[in-house]
Amino acid sequence: MIEEFKQWYDDRHSYAKEWKKNNLDGKVVGYFCTYVPEEILYAANCLPVRIIGGHEPPTLATPHMFDMWCPFSRDCLSQGLAGNYDYLDGIMIAQCCLHARQAFGAWQLQVPTPWSYYVCMPNAVTTSHAKKFLLGELAEFKKAVEAWVGKKITDADLDRGIDIMNTNRHLMKKVYESRKEDNPPLTGTEAMTLVWASQLMDKREHNVLVEELLRDLPNRELDREPGIRLMIVGSENDDRPFMELVESIGATFVIDDHCTGSRYFWDEIATTGDRLQAIADRYCDRVPCPTKDFQQETWERKRFPHILTLAKEYRVQGVILVQQKFCDPHECDIPSLKRYLEGNEIPCYVLEFEVTVPVGQFRIRIEAFIEQLRADELFD
Amino acid sequence: MAKYKTKGLDCWKRAKELRNRYYKDYKESPSRGGLRWEGGAWSFDAIPQALEGEVHGLSEEPYGASIAHNPELQVRYQEAAEGKWGCARDLCSYMRAYWGSVALNEYAYGGPWPHADFIFQNQICCCHSKWLQVADEIDGGTTPYFCFDVGVGPYDKIGDRQIEYVVAQLYDGIAFIERVTGRKIIEEKLIQNVYNTYRSNCYWAKTCELNQAIPAPLDEKTMFSLYVLGSLEKSNQAIADFYEKELYPEVKDRVANKIAAVADERCRVLGDSQPPWGFLRIYRYLEQYGIVSVANLYTFSLIGWMKVDEKGHLVPYPTLEEQGITIKDRDHALRLLVEGELKGKLMWAPFYGANYKNDLVTKIAKQWRCDAAIIHLNRGCEGTAQHQMQLKIALQEMGVPVMTFEGNMADEREFDEGRVLRLIELFVTETLGLKKVA
Amino acid sequence: MIVAGIDIGGKNVHVVILKDGALAAQGAAATGIQKAEAAERLYEETLRKAGLKRGEVGRVVATGSAGKRVAFADACIADAAADARGVHRLFPSARTVIDIGAEEGRAIKISPEGKVLDFAINEKCAAGTGTFVEAMAIALEISVEEMAAISLKSNTSIPMNAQCAVFGESEVVSLIHQNVEKQDIAKAVHDAIAGRIASVARIVGLEKDIAVIGGMAKNDGFIDSLRKEMAMDIIVPNDPDFVGALGAAEAAAKGVLEEKIAAKVVGQEIVEGEKTS
Repeated sequence: MIEEFKQWYDDRHSYAKEWKKNNLDGKVVGYFCTYVPEEILYAANCLPVRIIGGHEPPTLATPHMFDMWCPFSRDCLSQGLAGNYDYLDGIMIAQCCLHARQAFGAWQLQVPTPWSYYVCMPNAVTTSHAKKFLLGELAEFKKAVEAWVGKKITDADLDRGIDIMNTNRHLMKKVYESRKEDNPPLTGTEAMTLVWASQLMDKREHNVLVEELLRDLPNRELDREPGIRLMIVGSENDDRPFMELVESIGATFVIDDHCTGSRYFWDEIATTGDRLQAIADRYCDRVPCPTKDFQQETWERKRFPHILTLAKEYRVQGVILVQQKFCDPHECDIPSLKRYLEGNEIPCYVLEFEVTVPVGQFRIRIEAFIEQLRADELFD
Repeated sequence: MAKYKTKGLDCWKRAKELRNRYYKDYKESPSRGGLRWEGGAWSFDAIPQALEGEVHGLSEEPYGASIAHNPELQVRYQEAAEGKWGCARDLCSYMRAYWGSVALNEYAYGGPWPHADFIFQNQICCCHSKWLQVADEIDGGTTPYFCFDVGVGPYDKIGDRQIEYVVAQLYDGIAFIERVTGRKIIEEKLIQNVYNTYRSNCYWAKTCELNQAIPAPLDEKTMFSLYVLGSLEKSNQAIADFYEKELYPEVKDRVANKIAAVADERCRVLGDSQPPWGFLRIYRYLEQYGIVSVANLYTFSLIGWMKVDEKGHLVPYPTLEEQGITIKDRDHALRLLVEGELKGKLMWAPFYGANYKNDLVTKIAKQWRCDAAIIHLNRGCEGTAQHQMQLKIALQEMGVPVMTFEGNMADEREFDEGRVLRLIELFVTETLGLKKVA
Repeated sequence: MIVAGIDIGGKNVHVVILKDGALAAQGAAATGIQKAEAAERLYEETLRKAGLKRGEVGRVVATGSAGKRVAFADACIADAAADARGVHRLFPSARTVIDIGAEEGRAIKISPEGKVLDFAINEKCAAGTGTFVEAMAIALEISVEEMAAISLKSNTSIPMNAQCAVFGESEVVSLIHQNVEKQDIAKAVHDAIAGRIASVARIVGLEKDIAVIGGMAKNDGFIDSLRKEMAMDIIVPNDPDFVGALGAAEAAAKGVLEEKIAAKVVGQEIVEGEKTS
């Protein structure tokens, strides 16, 4: 069954093209950041698909984004320039890091896509003002989508969109809950594969399969020792070879904080009151991306206690902090997060990622980290 | 014989005095019972500077840039940030220099790191909010921190909703400042500061506009030393007076009398982003060929406010006096301040798309009559280096020869001077076909 | 007229002597640390090969990253300018030149007259030069020539990092430890560099005819990868590593000297107070 999710991830473009054929009224919208309000897209009968890289050197991107931009964002642009996303009817972004915005801006000019939209997702997300501002942004966005698809989005449509997204979030949290067990019924790679697939396909289909998986999970036993319990933290991460490597040398990723992981689905929408306000509230209140993780009155981050809570609840023995080369928001946070976690007696290891990674060299380093954690275990 | 008359600026000495006084005042403020605050070049300094009593701010980017002028200091501070604190080397080079200064407990202007009483910052890029968040943490985490968001959209989409969002945050900011300092924001001071902010920004823009003249009265290297005052404290009376009453009239006079920045001007280039601060001699190298750098969206709009008029031209934003506006009260002052920053600071427009950057910079290239462009692909600042490659394409499409070189505004380890000079020489002698002026 | 061009790069020095426009002699040697001395020695040697004396040479132009160290040169021109002139002499139809040497890779757009219109170089953190290939050959325990030959036998495609030389080398070591066939690793390295160089070339635009010069152009494996990456034909001259020196000799022949004379901007007239553009 996990294989099916992997297939959707691997064949993402075929999937989207097939969806278009089967949904002649629908439009496929590529998006650049998980702050994009997919609820409204679903309400408009659109299929939101996250634009992700191909893990290939982004050779087509260089004339448009020079090399100091994060490799993931350049890889995304390169995929667009290569024509791999030629089925998209539109692209959009919610204001986020400069790297993704660069890729979006270059895409607008270089990759013919009929429609594009920039939602000014506010940064001061802990303030009530941001929620009010975002409400206004979403209202304008909704109007723009209505004009584009040629159909008004009703309250019932919004309810449907919210329900699709909330159901997915709820189901994924239940899947993740199972990873608290001593011998989790799925590996970290498998869990992340579920999330990757959810970002690339119709969540209604994804929900059905996740429900099926949830029925199977109690009986699912992995033919492996779970080993050391690890957490992985970072930005975007769909580096399967790396995940598989780590989980083949005596460890299991039992939890994560990634925008291709738990951070994507962790917070549901509270379905009371005005629908757009409810959506705005959710996106402001969700576990923040570092670009938006600042609070008034204190230098402390909102995300760090959340990561610590996850680490404790999932009985994590060590954390791998993944840093995409040139990723400013995470690079700003990593030294602080490392201190924070180590101050709470959770060892950390920082690894720098590119679109391709030296798996052999990383193996040596992770083995050493695992050894260190095992030694700690001996003395516990 | 030189083509044009040239001479230094009469107001140069005054500019230097104002700048030196700024850093001295920040250091000495507590000894006079004054307060200190940290913020950015884009912080709305009109607000904290309206506190009762003496108050001085430290503007993070100019501080980082001034460290970069001293490569030995720059490397030492950045190595401290990278080694002692543990940050990545590709982060904003100003920020790393700043963090290193804090980590080593050193003030680049002498003595230990001067702790601030509060932080008042704004968020427009990935790093701004985090800059002082981390600096605070390095410094022991005891400085009250406030950051407000100005990422509300490009200048041509600013309406009441956007202004209201920022103003609401500023009211929170005022409450914060009053609470943590135990002092009040004085309405009259705030109002005057907003007038001054307008004057600083608008008169800098007017001064930049004068550079459309041939010969250009100012070269970019000189302009860097002049805009910096606004980046330190645009709400300051003396600084606003400098722009309106000293610099602008003098530059206007230079235009009327055809006094050139570069006596043998024969080629005008457009720049982009900050220059590599430790290597400003490359401008002097260009002058050997009669090349003068006359225009740059960054140099104009770091502090200067401009707008696109009904003919599609970039023109200076009008002062409050020119708009016939008298500030009524605190609320009016805040709204005008926000409106000016959001609509006038065109440097923020590229954050919203390459199309904005292309549109504004191609306008600059036309209006400032640029023959070529030399773009510093600035690895030190993602904010100003956005869309530079797209910009190259847009400029080439309008027939402007362009060269690029990678470097770093404030990290000399990332700048290969020899290689860059070779590239510039190639561009100048081959593509532009220029020879050195006799 | 007898002229000479000297191209002194990071690793090698090349000398070309032309007599009345025809090739009289050429020579190459490693520069070592004493680059100026190496250039001097090679120049003398090449003169002897041509049966000429020093005084018979009318003009010497140097180029390359260490070109300014050639004290006896009458002038020094930028390496991209030398490349453009050299390629233009050999292939007047060429509009894009790609030069990959030991320490730098560059792409140059040239006019029908052989002038440099635009250029781009592989910047920091790039594994896109001959030195990287040599390092990888050492890791594979084969010569560069062998590496070129065996890579042509591979049909696999292994994505590899070529933005950061350190990362790239790490990946090759990983592949070796995974017992990947040498030919496949060799191809992966060539593909990665080709991708890197092509991305630099795309900055100036890929307009045919495309000529590839420099030491790396002798590597058939790399050329094959580059051809496929760009999906365009490319021309590789004989002795591609001599083209820079040839271009410098061409410049000497055409009387390019570094003089202090006033000049006007190409294509535009500056009229005081007004602009035509």
